[in-house]
Amino acid sequence: MNEQQRKDATPTPKPRGAVPYKRSWKNLLINKRYQLRFTLFMVGLSTLLMVGLGFWVMRVANETTEVSATSVRGTPCPKIPVIEAVEELAPVPMKLPDAPEPAPEPAPADDTEQPEDAGSAGSGSADEERPRVKVQIDESSMTMMVAVPQDLGQKVVAHWTCELKLAAKLDRLERGRLRILWVLIGTGLLLVLGLAAYGIKMTHKVAGPLFKVGLYLGKMKNGRFDKVYSLRKGDQLVDFYEHFKHGHAGIVQMQKDDIARVKAVIAAAEGSGLGDHATIAELRDLVAKKEKSLE
Amino acid sequence: MSDPTAATGAPASPRPRYKRKLSNYLLDKKLQLRYVLIVTILSGVIAGALGFMIYQQRRAASESIEKDLAALTQKDTSQDQFQEQIASDLASEDQALVYKMVGVGIGLVVILSLYLILMTHKVAGPLFKVSMYFERMADGRLGVVTPLRKGDMLVDFFTSFKEMHDTVRGRAQEDAAAMDKATQALRAAQNQGDYRGEAHGKLTEALEALEKHVDDRKSKLTDFPPRSA
Repeated sequence: MNEQQRKDATPTPKPRGAVPYKRSWKNLLINKRYQLRFTLFMVGLSTLLMVGLGFWVMRVANETTEVSATSVRGTPCPKIPVIEAVEELAPVPMKLPDAPEPAPEPAPADDTEQPEDAGSAGSGSADEERPRVKVQIDESSMTMMVAVPQDLGQKVVAHWTCELKLAAKLDRLERGRLRILWVLIGTGLLLVLGLAAYGIKMTHKVAGPLFKVGLYLGKMKNGRFDKVYSLRKGDQLVDFYEHFKHGHAGIVQMQKDDIARVKAVIAAAEGSGLGDHATIAELRDLVAKKEKSLE
Repeated sequence: MSDPTAATGAPASPRPRYKRKLSNYLLDKKLQLRYVLIVTILSGVIAGALGFMIYQQRRAASESIEKDLAALTQKDTSQDQFQEQIASDLASEDQALVYKMVGVGIGLVVILSLYLILMTHKVAGPLFKVSMYFERMADGRLGVVTPLRKGDMLVDFFTSFKEMHDTVRGRAQEDAAAMDKATQALRAAQNQGDYRGEAHGKLTEALEALEKHVDDRKSKLTDFPPRSA
């Protein structure tokens, strides 16, 4: 076939089998309007769902965290016993009271447990308000020291262990809340990117056959009805393509029928001595044109 | 898109203006249902997973409240009923939340499916129409191509199909006219020459066959189905 005689520059779809076709990312967006519309709808809807429900999830997660944190904050921890420093007491006047009152008895060891005894000590209202402190006396040096309960260390450890546990629980709750947030954001982003890629690839399997048929339509418009090749593996619109092939075959058959009829007339005319007639020359041109369109 | 020509009988009267019918919305089940199912299942999975997270968080909060309440009232038996009441209220609230979410999810799936069928129909419709014309072309029928409905997609593709169809039809009409003209010219030449014999008979036969062929071709190139003026 003389290529220069071709009127059109429509590219011919490559036959399957000659060179195995590989889908290329560059060619994925064949029909931008159709592909992007469907992909964006899918991505937009998923984003809307993720954002809407994500906000709901976060609201409920915040509430749950707050409830749990309040519960944690309300958990009682064992208290540390209060130990007060020994105050420097004012010097006791050496002068005895005038009234014949009995001398105050020494305070009992556990006077904090018997406040009525302390009240009757006769040291006045200022003494009553002052907290009583257990002391122990070091006889060798005659110094008074605050009496420390024997389980003080355990109580202090228990208190701070509890406080630290509560702080850790609060921290864990906050970290759990943040983890939900990041999981939502990460999943959302992954979903959007994955869906965009999948949507374009999926719609490409529809746009591909349409593109191929479009090329053949261009060729048919320019009067070329040569062979139609099959679709690529995985393409959709297989039924539609079959309809196209039927239509194409119908047009090819039209050309073949015309050629057969006209050739019969030319042969009969030549047999009748009309071979040099101008009309026969026109019919020969018509046949040549039609035969060329089928090559 | 099983048989697009099945629903295209040739009406004797002028065609009424086409209206979309609910029963015709699934023109290409494979293409349409595939997309509808993908989007619907995906949305269902997202809504289900996030809904489950919401329920889980809500339940955790309720359990925390119940636990605190139990701790507060553990020494007070008179508060048992109150505690049960609160627990029951929280459980029914959580249950109501599940029903609400399931309802919203089902609504979403139904609305989405309907919308997607409508949307994909706008792609399947033009493909169905073009398939119909292809089947007519297979029989050699090249009538007039009517435009797409308002809102249809693949307008560019349909435009290039229509251009091809009109060009092929125009060319076929020209060829038919040329063959008709040639038949008449050869018949006139045959009569002028007053040929006789076997060759004459063959030419007459061939010209009659060509005439019949041209008539058949012309009938197939008329507007099909006939439209109102």
